[in-house]
Amino acid sequence: MTRLNHYEALGLRSDASPEQIEKAYHFFASMYEEAAVATYSLLDVDEQRDVRAHIRQAYEVLRDPEQRQGYDRSLAERPPVPEPPRPAEPRPQPPAEPRPVEAPPAAPALRFLPEPVTGDSLRRAREERRVTLREIAGATKIGVRFLEYIEADRHRDLPAVVYIRGFVQQYARYIGLDPRQTADSYLKRVRS
Amino acid sequence: MSELAQRAPSRPRRQIWSIGGGKGGIGKSLLTAALGWQLARMGKRVILVDADLGGANLHTCMGLRSPERTLGDFIRRRFERIEDVLVETGVPLLRLISGASDFLGAANIKYQQKVRVLNRIRSLEVDVVLLDLGAGTSYNIVDFFLISDVGLLTVVPEPTSIENAYRFIKSALYRRLRNAARNEEVRQLVEAALDAKNPQGIRTPLDLLRVVEQRHPEEAALFKHEVATFRPSFVVNQVREDVDAAIGHQLVAACARHLGVHSTYVGFVHYDEAVWRSVRQRRLFIADAPRARAAEDVARLARVLLQGETLPLPW
Repeated sequence: MTRLNHYEALGLRSDASPEQIEKAYHFFASMYEEAAVATYSLLDVDEQRDVRAHIRQAYEVLRDPEQRQGYDRSLAERPPVPEPPRPAEPRPQPPAEPRPVEAPPAAPALRFLPEPVTGDSLRRAREERRVTLREIAGATKIGVRFLEYIEADRHRDLPAVVYIRGFVQQYARYIGLDPRQTADSYLKRVRS
Repeated sequence: MSELAQRAPSRPRRQIWSIGGGKGGIGKSLLTAALGWQLARMGKRVILVDADLGGANLHTCMGLRSPERTLGDFIRRRFERIEDVLVETGVPLLRLISGASDFLGAANIKYQQKVRVLNRIRSLEVDVVLLDLGAGTSYNIVDFFLISDVGLLTVVPEPTSIENAYRFIKSALYRRLRNAARNEEVRQLVEAALDAKNPQGIRTPLDLLRVVEQRHPEEAALFKHEVATFRPSFVVNQVREDVDAAIGHQLVAACARHLGVHSTYVGFVHYDEAVWRSVRQRRLFIADAPRARAAEDVARLARVLLQGETLPLPW
């Protein structure tokens, strides 16, 4: 399958409503299930899985108003020919245009870290993107101290699990990682 | 001509619609008969043509006994005029050209001959010609499909039926590309693509196009045009649940993304006991029970097709 952008992947127009995004996601998710009649004879199991991941990724971005905004901006900046997911270097900042602090600095394609996600793997992903903790703290209003605890796996020094989830999700989103998968995986180690 | 027919539909007159699908036993003939009945009721002059080579039984679906004159007789010039093999069905505006099993003898008719036959049928006083194609993906079937203005692909929500529909699409498209190719090497490439285990690794029309672009860029534009103008339309039959009806949309999406083929979804017909009851009495369900669910589905399909529309996506 040629690389589709998130809207194309879900068969949506760029002005799609949240309800349309939900419906489209469920439609395509069931279309690419392993036993789905429409695709099992066209794709092998690995191809189906890749497409499912792509669709999931598109959905995660588009259903979150904040991420969607950032994504829309990056689409507008993107050259007309769609590109494969970008490597980890940060995208050059447009010179004069002021950007809201929440804007993720990197490419829109969300990455998944290998499991289990640890404080150390988060730090490495962040450093690859050349993002400082201070930058994340400024954008997310999470104290630098807590971000350091997350990277150091000092779970006991962090507040309740629900807060950690929120912190990790925001951290992940800022450096272009899939927020849900990152937080789910990180929290597994917090609880045990 | 009735008033209804004069209220111009967006499609031009004298249309040929074929009903294929690759697999047997999925309701092609019944759908053809019901669609024809419905169109006639809407004021269209309709001719049903039984092009099912092996198992012609469209007449049975219409509650008729095997007609004495068939399309085979015309092809073998036993009758000079196409009118001579045209049979009344008892339904106003609805007539039939029977295939009957002896059509098998004419199985190797050439492409140009098929075009000639269809043009003779088209020359009759008619608004819509409905071609009931048989099962399989033989040249005869695929050619009639390609000559048609609208190619309907009937599927039921089952893996085997959908596999066959994809196979049908590939066969039809490759046949079309092969006919269009001007270069002998490209023609051979298309023929190679028909073999699923071809050494070039061509699995889909998209792969084929890529290879042609590399080796014969001068043919690529023609290929793209042929692919873009090949527009099969899906009908999902025997729908039992909502998810079954959604399969039509999934097929359209899958064809576009993984085969590079732009299809449309024009309708679905519910599984309905009323159909069965009528079939067993050799009667047409849509005439017996026009308020039955399946009958209303066919009516909607007829409207969608006359307007040249497609079903809207569920979001």
